[in-house]
Amino acid sequence: MFKKLIEESTGKSPWLFHINAGSCNGCDIELVSVLTPRYDAERLGFKLAGSPRHADIVVVTGPVTKQSLPRVLRAISQVPEPRCIVTMGSCPQSGNVFRGSYSVAGPLSKYVDVDVDVAGCAPKPEAIIDGLALAAKILKEKRGRKK
Amino acid sequence: MTIVIEALQYLGYVLIFPGFLFCFLAGMLLCGIDRKLVAKMQKRVGPPVLQPFYDFFKLCGKETIVPAAAERITFMLSPLVGLAALVVIQLFIPVFGFTAFSGIGDIIVILYLLLVPALAMILGGAASGSPYAGVGLSREMVTIISCELPLVLVLLAVAKTVGSAIGTGLCFSLSEIAEYQLVNGSLITKISMLPAAAAMLLIIPGETGNHPFDAAEAETEICEGMLAEYSGAPLGVFKLSHAVKMLSLTSLFVALFLGGLGTGIMALDALLLFVLCALITAASISFVHAFTARLKIEQIFKYYWTVVSLLALISLVLAWYGL
Repeated sequence: MFKKLIEESTGKSPWLFHINAGSCNGCDIELVSVLTPRYDAERLGFKLAGSPRHADIVVVTGPVTKQSLPRVLRAISQVPEPRCIVTMGSCPQSGNVFRGSYSVAGPLSKYVDVDVDVAGCAPKPEAIIDGLALAAKILKEKRGRKK
Repeated sequence: MTIVIEALQYLGYVLIFPGFLFCFLAGMLLCGIDRKLVAKMQKRVGPPVLQPFYDFFKLCGKETIVPAAAERITFMLSPLVGLAALVVIQLFIPVFGFTAFSGIGDIIVILYLLLVPALAMILGGAASGSPYAGVGLSREMVTIISCELPLVLVLLAVAKTVGSAIGTGLCFSLSEIAEYQLVNGSLITKISMLPAAAAMLLIIPGETGNHPFDAAEAETEICEGMLAEYSGAPLGVFKLSHAVKMLSLTSLFVALFLGGLGTGIMALDALLLFVLCALITAASISFVHAFTARLKIEQIFKYYWTVVSLLALISLVLAWYGL
């Protein structure tokens, strides 16, 4: 019963940690707009965590520059299991307009397993909430698979 | 035989009511009500009232990472020490007529025990070896010092009022204060106690580290300060301690100022206590949270040692002249 309670709760309380991997700040602002009274992601239990150790879902924005790559990987490895990785915007998914640049090391999926991609430049708040809700569902399944 | 029954009775007090189980359920519900109310005041839908329970159980199921730089035993044990101290406080606070443990100086015991959760957090933060925790714990110490002076003044004012009425000078026993109020009506009806009650309402968010006074746990600037390195179950216990601290301080307010409302039936009294705690949380924590921005640490210090201390001091002077 206790195990089931934990599994149920895992899907209902996903805390976000946001990493900017060289983003233009467009997606970062859109992520904050998701938490405003108009869209209010807190009704689904989402909360922005201050430290990667508190987080369940890592949201990466930006095309993953060579400078930021080691820091992104290090921050992701600090997040306790079970965790989900969400890429936000087209940049970390494909490189977007920065594809082929000398300073871009992306896409992110070359280095870590990405669970959800939210495409768009920048994605709409509705799309972001949809992607995060999907990530929360995946989180619950990951917890259920454990043991 | 009687010893066995008595021991079982005390075990029930510690584990069920007003001890651990009551603290867990009521504290978490208070926390949920607070989050919902803040959301409503900001025209949001807000999380479900049961959200703190989900958060707690989720954290129990997460991996616990102990940093390489951390002092392992202190790091893992300090959350439990803080929670245990809060449960002990709840045993000393009377539920109107009923007190699980009482003595002649329980106000002083509560004053000391209220420091333990904050100290446990400071210890845990220091043991984690994180620079963010270092900044957070220095701020937490300043917050403790800020709140302590007005809190002592408020308690002195109450002790003097009840003490001079029953003829013992100063009365430091919460159960006597509760009995006095059951006979003579709540203390908040006295003019001299109004500034003290206002001061106590302002002390509650500072002691719990809630919104305008949360410089020590500022998640946007110092990664939640002392909690920066915590993850999994120990973090969950810290979140639980925060919720229980809200319950302890609001029920202390009820015991000090609203003690005359008791009905004499245990279950009804417990329910009434919870409703009053929720109302006080709404007034002193949620409402203030919804319309203020975070204060800087020196502003917190100045605010408590001038405005709030002055309110408590007025009350103490009025009580000294027997108003």
